[in-house]
Amino acid sequence: MTLRDVRLRLRALLTPRRAERDLHDELAFHVDRETKKLIDEGMAAAEARSRAQARFGSVPLAADRCRDQRGTAAVDNTIRDVSYALRAFGRAPLSALTVVVTIAIGLGAVAVLFTFLNTFLFRVDRVPDIDAMYGVERPRADDDRALLTQPQFDALRRETRIFTDAYAVGPHLDLRVDGEMMTGTFVSANFFQVLGVSSVLGRAFTPADEERPGGFPAIVLSDKGWRRRFNRDPAVLGRRVLVAGVPLEIAGIMPAGFRGLDVSGPDFWAPLSLLPQLQADQARGAGDLTVEVVGRLRPGVSVESAGAQLSAWTSTQPGRPPDRTADRLMLVPRRGTLPHPMEAIAIFTPLFLAFGLILLIGCANVANLLLARGVARQREIGIRLSLGASRRRIVRQLMTESLLLALAAAAGGYVVSRVALEESVYWAVRTMPVDLGDINLNVPAADWRVALFLVATAIAATAFFALMPALQATRIDPVRTLRGELVRDARPRRARNTLIGVQVFASALLLICAVIFLRSAIASSRFDPGLRTSDTVVIQMINEPKRAAMLQAIGRDAAIASYAAVRPDLIGQPFVGVADTGAGKTRVSYKFVSGQYFDVLDIPIVRGRTFAASEDEHHPVVIVSESVARALWPNRNAIGETFRIEPDVEPGKPPAEDAMLVSRLVTVIGIARDVRGFRYSDVKDAGIFVPTSPSVPRTSVVARVNGSTDLARQTLLDHLTRVDPNMGLIIMMRTVARLETFFLQIAFWGSLILAGLALLLTGSGLYGVLSYLVEQRTREIGVRMALGASTRRLTLLVLSQTSRPVTWGLVAGAGLAAALATALLATPFGVFIAEIVHVTDPIAYAVSLLVVVGTCLLAAWIPVRRAARVDPMRALRTD
Amino acid sequence: MSTADIMTRVPDLLPGTLDLLILRTLRSDALHGWAIAERVQAISEDVLQINQGSLYPALHRLEHQGWLDAEWRVSELGRRAKYYRLTAAGRRQLAFETREWERMSQAIGRVMKLA
Repeated sequence: MTLRDVRLRLRALLTPRRAERDLHDELAFHVDRETKKLIDEGMAAAEARSRAQARFGSVPLAADRCRDQRGTAAVDNTIRDVSYALRAFGRAPLSALTVVVTIAIGLGAVAVLFTFLNTFLFRVDRVPDIDAMYGVERPRADDDRALLTQPQFDALRRETRIFTDAYAVGPHLDLRVDGEMMTGTFVSANFFQVLGVSSVLGRAFTPADEERPGGFPAIVLSDKGWRRRFNRDPAVLGRRVLVAGVPLEIAGIMPAGFRGLDVSGPDFWAPLSLLPQLQADQARGAGDLTVEVVGRLRPGVSVESAGAQLSAWTSTQPGRPPDRTADRLMLVPRRGTLPHPMEAIAIFTPLFLAFGLILLIGCANVANLLLARGVARQREIGIRLSLGASRRRIVRQLMTESLLLALAAAAGGYVVSRVALEESVYWAVRTMPVDLGDINLNVPAADWRVALFLVATAIAATAFFALMPALQATRIDPVRTLRGELVRDARPRRARNTLIGVQVFASALLLICAVIFLRSAIASSRFDPGLRTSDTVVIQMINEPKRAAMLQAIGRDAAIASYAAVRPDLIGQPFVGVADTGAGKTRVSYKFVSGQYFDVLDIPIVRGRTFAASEDEHHPVVIVSESVARALWPNRNAIGETFRIEPDVEPGKPPAEDAMLVSRLVTVIGIARDVRGFRYSDVKDAGIFVPTSPSVPRTSVVARVNGSTDLARQTLLDHLTRVDPNMGLIIMMRTVARLETFFLQIAFWGSLILAGLALLLTGSGLYGVLSYLVEQRTREIGVRMALGASTRRLTLLVLSQTSRPVTWGLVAGAGLAAALATALLATPFGVFIAEIVHVTDPIAYAVSLLVVVGTCLLAAWIPVRRAARVDPMRALRTD
Repeated sequence: MSTADIMTRVPDLLPGTLDLLILRTLRSDALHGWAIAERVQAISEDVLQINQGSLYPALHRLEHQGWLDAEWRVSELGRRAKYYRLTAAGRRQLAFETREWERMSQAIGRVMKLA
């Protein structure tokens, strides 16, 4: 590139108007000069001019090629393309808006999902240089990452030079903080320092804190815990809270988005040195506690050499527990993402397909719209082609238009996804059963990956669905177009019908899912589990040393009407044992209950009696369910029958935790009505009930409360946490019953919203296509009317335009739904799914298909009426 | 007669010869685009007609390459017109391309005579 070249380019760039004027003058001069020459040769002025112009050829084309020489063509072409595109949008603002809004809705739906996936698969965190973080793990895929004892961790830090520094993570525990359950993670004091993240309020722990006598009696809240429990109140800083009964200070609050290197972060972090204090009853020697070690790899150390150093170091460790470090240790990258991304992708794929269908329908609408508009633009493009614009320029122009639409749609999609995320998370949190303990949902943050995803998808969508019809428009004959003959027979009827078919297909599929979920939810809410759920609660007893005191408090509490012992508790599976009646052995499920159990839960004893208070686990009596009684003693009264019950021990396997059952001969004293149990939570009640009492370790308490269950639960929590600050959950049985329908409801609303969007888009798409067709065929309709066609025939004529693709869409949608249902039932989860969701519910299919057909008819209504109102005289006069 | 007809009757120039013709035409005087085309046509006795659609892109290209310099002057029509003249680099390029051309035409001439 010479200096002159640069100067010329700069001039063209900086003073584009002057450069353009010069170019125009230069070319115009040539034609004028040629004209003068011809006149001088004796030609008439007018003829001379047209001859001169003919000899020169296309002036704009030559000008374009001159511009190409200056190398700034790209820039000023773009400027011209953009301004031209904006003018084009200004001329047809409604259709540009339709394109943007339609694609934005679909994009927003997909972006919602991608934002979630992004948080799980890719790191969205504040940890600097996260790629240097490595965890010490065993090669086998194993959930237990706590491999080293605390002295070993200290030795590793002292003796190796693998990490610049490493921290230790102890257990993640659900602890009561001022009576409310919160999740805490126990970490070594250098945790925040190694990660390189500091608090937004107050301060985090530092290694210096550990050296103080008694440690640093404080916790650091995550943004999640701060928001969930303290409503982001800055005054909590420095407040003393009772964590599992131990007073600790809230020292600091971490920034939003920081969750440590776990997929879902805890509510707070506490120093590892406090663990023995907080877990007084489970205290073990510090040497027994194993921790997970994560460190920042020293710069310049490769992962391989670090692994080798680690192995060498391990082998020098004296007294390591042989079964723990038997395998070679290795370093595994820690990015705080899901350890098994493929599983997440497997879960997300069907969701992506469902959400993607909305985008697909939207795109189909856009394509249809542009196909219709393509005819209108043929004249414009034809004129430009015949004025000498090259096809490349026109394609560039159309691409610029698509790109502008794509960017606007991406911005719209971002707004849609944020609003949808905020709303859906808010809704889910609000309607979630409160006492499920600790399910917290954050609105995931969007980052550059989400932005990239939006823009890329928007460009792909507009390129496919907006550019294709536009390109088709350039494949026209300028001469015929100029003569006003639009290429109507090039009308891409097949493409349009395919698009309608796809839309109807997607709507039908999504709607069938929605109705199936709705009907299953209704069926589930009517389901009677066979036990009283309205005012009963389960009080988990997880802290054996406090059992006696707790029972005393429960017995005294005015909120409790009656209570009984049960093991396993109502949300656990009963044990499995073997009943030997002498006639043969039968596997039976059993659980331990106290005599009040049947009364508390309203389970009728149909014959015989329940356990007396004096009958404890040593008494040789049992109560059986009706179905077990029928199975073991057909046609006989089971009361008074004797049989041997023993644990179901497989040879060679250690006895399960139900070893509490001693093999013995028992007598049936009562028969209880069958309890169907909960299906979603997969809780079946037992067939055999063995006596126990609340004072027996590992039993839970099930109680019937007085008055409002919510109020009673709160009172109980207040009273009982005073007795045992570390007590387990109090679960309302009503919540468990609601769980039966909760997820079905979520699935229903989710698929209903998607199906609604799909129907809306399909309806508007059909409306657009039919209006266009009616408009295009006004003359034909007029002729038919003039020849005496009835309104009914005309209606049928319009409807017949789309009846075939609609039918195909319905058949394909229902067919795919049925095929998916069949495939789903064939999977290992099929039985479980079939019990909860009636995937082949014929009524759901019928209702959905009717709704889709109804929507299509509704969308056709206005165009049909317009066709029927055509005035034959006027129609024949229209061009 | 349509534009297309005229264009098809013009014999195709050998590739690269358009640049040579322009440079050679401008060796002594500064000329505007029309005069360049006119002079080539006159001297070649109407055998060579420069396709005017490609003349101006070529002029602009040579200008960007630094072989031509352009200035606006008042023309014989009394209007301003863009006059091109050779630069020093253009002269060197002309000398080079002339040698190349002679070598090529001698070679072709020999083949035509002897082959």
